[in-house]
Amino acid sequence: MASEEQLSAIKRAKVLMVGAGGIGCELLKTLALSGFQDIHIIDMDTIEVSNLNRQFLFRQYHVGQSKAKVARDAVLRFKPNISITPYHANVKESRFNVDFFKEFDVVLNGLDNLDARRHVNRLCLAADVPLVESGTTGFLGQVTVHLKGKTECYECQPKPAPKTYPVCTITSTPSKFVHCIVWAKDLLFAKLFGDKNQENDLNVRSSDTGNPSEHSEDLFECRKDEDIEQYGRRVYDHVFGHNIEVALSNEETWKNRNKPRPIYCKDVLHLKMTKENGDTEKDCATGDVSAMSSLSLKNPQDVWSLAENSRVFLEALRLFFSKRGKEIGNLTFDKDDQLAVEFVTAAANIRASSFGIPLHSLFEAKGIAGNIVHAVATTNAIIGGLIVIEAIKVLKKDNNSYRMTYCLEHPSRKLLLMPVEPYEPNKSCYVCSETPLSLEVNTRHSKLRDFVEKIVKGKLGMNFPVIMQGASILYEVGEDLEDDMVAIYAANLEKALSELPSPVTSGTVLTVEDLQQEFSCSVNIKHREEFEEEKEPDGMVLSGWVEAPADKDNNKPNGNGESTSNALPSEEIQEDEKDVEIQETSEGTENVTGKKRKLSEVDESRNQKKPEKLDIDDEDDELVISDDWESLTKKKRV
Amino acid sequence: MAEPKTKYDRQLRIWGEQGQAALEKASICLLNCGPTGSETLKNLVLGGVGSITIVDGSKVEFGDLGNNFMVDDSSLGHSKAKCVCSFLQELNDAVKAKFIEESPEALIDTNPSFFSQFTLVVATQLVEDSMVKLDRICRQENVMLIFARSYGLTGLVRISVKEHTVIESKPDHFLDDLRLNNPWPELRGFAEAIDLNVQDPVAHKHIPYVVILVKMVDEWKTSHGGTLPSTREEKREFKELLKSRMAAMDEENYKEAIDASFKVFAPQGISSDLQQILNDSCADIGTGSSDFWVMVAALKEFIANEGGGEVPLEGSIPDMTSSTEHYVNLQRIYQAKSEADYLVIEERVRNILKKIGRDPHSIPKATIKSFCKNARKLKVCRYCPIEDEYNNPSLAELQKYLTDEDYSIAVGFYILLRAVDRYAANFNHFPGQFDGGLDEDISRLKTTALSLLNDLGCTGLTLTEDLINEMCRFGAAELHAVASVIGGIASQEVIKLITKQFVPMSGTFVFNAIDHKSQLLTLY
Repeated sequence: MASEEQLSAIKRAKVLMVGAGGIGCELLKTLALSGFQDIHIIDMDTIEVSNLNRQFLFRQYHVGQSKAKVARDAVLRFKPNISITPYHANVKESRFNVDFFKEFDVVLNGLDNLDARRHVNRLCLAADVPLVESGTTGFLGQVTVHLKGKTECYECQPKPAPKTYPVCTITSTPSKFVHCIVWAKDLLFAKLFGDKNQENDLNVRSSDTGNPSEHSEDLFECRKDEDIEQYGRRVYDHVFGHNIEVALSNEETWKNRNKPRPIYCKDVLHLKMTKENGDTEKDCATGDVSAMSSLSLKNPQDVWSLAENSRVFLEALRLFFSKRGKEIGNLTFDKDDQLAVEFVTAAANIRASSFGIPLHSLFEAKGIAGNIVHAVATTNAIIGGLIVIEAIKVLKKDNNSYRMTYCLEHPSRKLLLMPVEPYEPNKSCYVCSETPLSLEVNTRHSKLRDFVEKIVKGKLGMNFPVIMQGASILYEVGEDLEDDMVAIYAANLEKALSELPSPVTSGTVLTVEDLQQEFSCSVNIKHREEFEEEKEPDGMVLSGWVEAPADKDNNKPNGNGESTSNALPSEEIQEDEKDVEIQETSEGTENVTGKKRKLSEVDESRNQKKPEKLDIDDEDDELVISDDWESLTKKKRV
Repeated sequence: MAEPKTKYDRQLRIWGEQGQAALEKASICLLNCGPTGSETLKNLVLGGVGSITIVDGSKVEFGDLGNNFMVDDSSLGHSKAKCVCSFLQELNDAVKAKFIEESPEALIDTNPSFFSQFTLVVATQLVEDSMVKLDRICRQENVMLIFARSYGLTGLVRISVKEHTVIESKPDHFLDDLRLNNPWPELRGFAEAIDLNVQDPVAHKHIPYVVILVKMVDEWKTSHGGTLPSTREEKREFKELLKSRMAAMDEENYKEAIDASFKVFAPQGISSDLQQILNDSCADIGTGSSDFWVMVAALKEFIANEGGGEVPLEGSIPDMTSSTEHYVNLQRIYQAKSEADYLVIEERVRNILKKIGRDPHSIPKATIKSFCKNARKLKVCRYCPIEDEYNNPSLAELQKYLTDEDYSIAVGFYILLRAVDRYAANFNHFPGQFDGGLDEDISRLKTTALSLLNDLGCTGLTLTEDLINEMCRFGAAELHAVASVIGGIASQEVIKLITKQFVPMSGTFVFNAIDHKSQLLTLY
């Protein structure tokens, strides 16, 4: 029934899919069955067991293989006559540059993280290729269309950054389970198994006194004269016992807080019991090493006792050293790495016990540590279908009928799918319009390195930045730089801004450019002397950069999929209560918890609910829901 | 570790182990395995339903290869049910998959008792006549039923179940149950023991907002003749009062108290939705009453007696700025009250069960507990028989939809989806299904649609030419992208029905792929 013209537009089209995960599988299948003949897929991931409940192109025996390649083969089996080109690669690689993007008629995203989404957005803007962006979490989903100059770009709306916690809360005064998880994952795990050269605050003292732990390096190295069991116990006693004692010695910290309890191995485990751990030889398959199985703990939803957690801790540590020794020094936490999840759960729980914080099951801990977004086949199927419908409109250049479509969990105003006409580009967007940013920074203390790491990479999402002051280059990353330049840039990194060869002081305008993204912006520098450590942990404040307000810390693990949301029931909304704040909490992921938003324009139709803009992830990383009600209400709803 | 649940990890985070267990027990029957049916079932097989039975009498034809992912070249000429079944089995070996090569229409006519073995039937691409018959059968046998249909750029999903009760409705937004304006003695006692005027600034900024509000409400009431702030002006004053007690501008706990002050203004007692459930005639218990209604009856007694007009306390508190000690104590107080309320309800449930001659322990504790926690969020959904909706739809609703710009396309497609079935019954093909003769088909469809509207009593109303033309251009094609959307929505509703979590949609969902304006129509 499709018109000839439409069919030939589809047949001729060359499309790029970024992501072959939950949405990607649906999308690829639907594209193939809708007549598309030239499809390219980029995905850097390999297949995990936890993908199989929705990524239907993959089977158990594909676990460990490239998603892009397996997806291609699976679809070609059914549609042998089309061309599918897979790239098992990171979309940020330099070969996927603007010229590469220009080859395509439309780009379709099925991504799982903000960083890659922003990167693709910039390349699409630079290449002037339409982008259809999508995301799902649980039963919620969205599809949006982005065309340079015609609609807003992906970054025109605020994107909340992943939640960060003040260092001292993590290192010294945790009050929630998530703080213990962050400690276990980002500090302890990283220290023991990760890159030894990374800076690590594990031993940061509880306040300004205490020991500066200059010998910490030795502490976490296994000594020649000790076996792995002794080493594990020593680490245990050091981090859960000694470090807590040190923290306790600072009376001031605990004046208004409950004091933590130091925990030593010998108090929790009798020597004999730990020796029983020995029957681990039964599973030798390295991929499957698990402390839970060697300790016969079966149900990941059980909350372990302190003793069980301690045993898991020691056993996991032992297994890392005995079975996965080669990886030590290079490991980063991965939510699909069973042993890593076991270690982090156990360590977080032991720390939680010390601080009187309720313990959690492995299942819950994994959700928090991995920022796991729940995902289900049904929503991906809906979204996959909608992406293709939008992609066809884009190919037909049917500009007026583009829609941003939100898939809701609870029907609202008789709608389960909520379409909204695309918005105009945001005139103050630093990405698609050339609005300068401004940065408050202490130019005498902050180093160029801080600016590069925290702002240019951290906030502006650049990979290959060039930083210029007027015509002089202060810093550049690239593959073909001269050695002497590399040395100069490296030296610059360690200099305070005001001491750079071309000094950066109040009033300086920096140009920051990413050559791969073909994206540049200007940053106006303003000097400021003091920053509040708690509120402005970066020691610098970027403005003009759209980011939603920081999340309110709201750790409420609710068990399985129990979405507790606290807000006004509709009867409560009265016309004179327009500034009511609604708090929304979603489970599993810390990033999404407790965001506050203004419920603007509560109109007479009490049930009216505007769609939330979901910057969601098909899958697991940084679930970010920006509650963008205000802007939605201002714009025309369809 | 070979943890069998790993592959369900992401969805367990939505519906939990209980929801998953319900899915694994469910037995699903699919009628017709074209793209819409196959896609619906695919999503359910991936999620791990217990068993599936595919009923389809057709053979795979060349045209199927273009829109159904589950058949390929090698399937040509073979039973479609068999091919789709083997594809689906490959997706998840934990699912018991079987197929029956028979036409659903024939099965409905000749073997109605066949359907009684299933938890739920997914009926796709059925025409009106078969829908009506099947609906009768499933209601008779107490089998849940869901219809799904894709037709060109439109389609529909309609649930048909006599009654579906939900304890875990999981609403998006719900006011937490803090009882700030109606504290029970322990909460009041706890608040009273804390001095809001404490001199130590650190202590002052760590008083939880719950305590601040409980105390400030009391103070307000004392100076306002025992009433709560009610007018806009009073509410503003109340917030000002809170602000005036801040020791410093950066006291987060006071800011939270001001932000949360609307919780104080919330009315006491139960919502009108809940009242409606309590008033339902099913709440008068008899031997045939379901567990849900037994618990509703117990709840009703509780509200009238121990509850003093309130439901059992939910027991959890939101995160707030507080000293750990205060927070932990508050948590304990809320939990204790919630536990005490639960025990009363449990006792009442046991007594009611005894009274109606059932085993007093036939409802598990965990169920009663979950019922108590969700008492404010209970939902009862009822769906009218398809036959009634088709023969006697609410005329007022129909007319409203037809004249409302927001709904006119959706209701237009709804009418046309019925009209094409009448058309097909008369002319043995769907409008636009074959090349040529489109103009004739258009005028015939128009006549059919008008006569349908007439039969429904909507005289004088009509559908736009554009819509009728569009419908003819669809030519009854089942487009994959549309089938994917319809299948996604249908399977999502199936999951809600089986897990008894979330609220399934009411009415008929009509999809409109042209601008995605897709409405739920309630026509009864």
